[in-house]
Amino acid sequence: MNPKRTMTLNLTDQEMSVLDQLSVQKDLSKTALIRQALRLYQLVDARITRGEKLFFEDQDKQKAELMVL
Amino acid sequence: MREKIQIIDTQTGESVEAEIFDEVALAHFIETQAEWRPVVLAAARALSQQPNQGFLIPRHFHWDWTRKEAELKLLAVKFYGLAYEGKLQGIMKVETVAHSCRLPEQQGKPMVYIDYIESAPWNIKKLMAALGQPQRFRAVGTRLFEAAVLQSQEEGFRGRLGLHSLPGSEGFYINECGMTPVGRDPHKQNLLWCEFTPEQAERYLAGE
Repeated sequence: MNPKRTMTLNLTDQEMSVLDQLSVQKDLSKTALIRQALRLYQLVDARITRGEKLFFEDQDKQKAELMVL
Repeated sequence: MREKIQIIDTQTGESVEAEIFDEVALAHFIETQAEWRPVVLAAARALSQQPNQGFLIPRHFHWDWTRKEAELKLLAVKFYGLAYEGKLQGIMKVETVAHSCRLPEQQGKPMVYIDYIESAPWNIKKLMAALGQPQRFRAVGTRLFEAAVLQSQEEGFRGRLGLHSLPGSEGFYINECGMTPVGRDPHKQNLLWCEFTPEQAERYLAGE
C-alpha cells in the first residue's frame, strides 16, 4: 500500500450533503469518493488538454458537449 | 509499492520468490516489446501453420504497451509489473475510475477495471508448446489478478472488479477465479464482461 498524507477539507453543508448522498449511493467512504473525483478530474483534464472533447449522450442519441474548466 | 510474492517454476514444481510492483516505467513497456513480442509473434505464426490450431493464436499478439506511456502519469490508471530476478514476467493495467458494475445487485457502483493483463509468452503453456519449448513459470496471471482485487479493496470498492475477457481466458476467469459472466459487450468486440462482487472477491482472496 502506498503511503498517504492527511489534509483537512472544509465543505459547506450542501457540499457535505451531496458527499454523504453519493457515498451511500456508490457504497464508498467519503475519502474514497473524493479520491475518485480527483482521479476523474485529472483524467478528463488530460484528455481535453490533448484536444479531445467530452460529450454526454441522451436517450435520443443527442450529444451535448460538456465544457470542463 | 514493491512486494515479494510466490510463483511456480514449472521445471522444478517449486515456488520461487518474485516481486510485484507498481512503479512501472516506460522501460518495462519497451521490455515487453523487445523481448515478449517477438516470441508471441513466433508462436502465433507457428500456430497459424498448424491445422485446426488457429483458435489458439493469442488474441493479444498485437498489443503494444509502449503506447500506454502517457497513461503512466494518470491517477485513474495503475500499472503493475511482476518480475523474477529482474526480468519482467507479467504486466497489468487497471483503471480505477469511469467504470461501474453491471450486475443488478451492484449496478452503478464503482469498480477496478482490468484493462490489460499479460504474462510473458514463456509463461503461457500453449504458446511455448507451439514453439516446442516448456512453460517457464505458472501463477503469474493469478498474482497480477490478486493485485487487482487488493487494489479494489484499497480504493474502497470492496473488491468489486470487472474485465472484458479474451476468448481464450474466459474459462480462467469464470472457473478458476470465480467471476460472474455477465454477458457479451457489443461495444467491446463482443468480449465477455465478467464481474466480481465483494463476496466473490473475499472468497477468491481466501482461496476458496
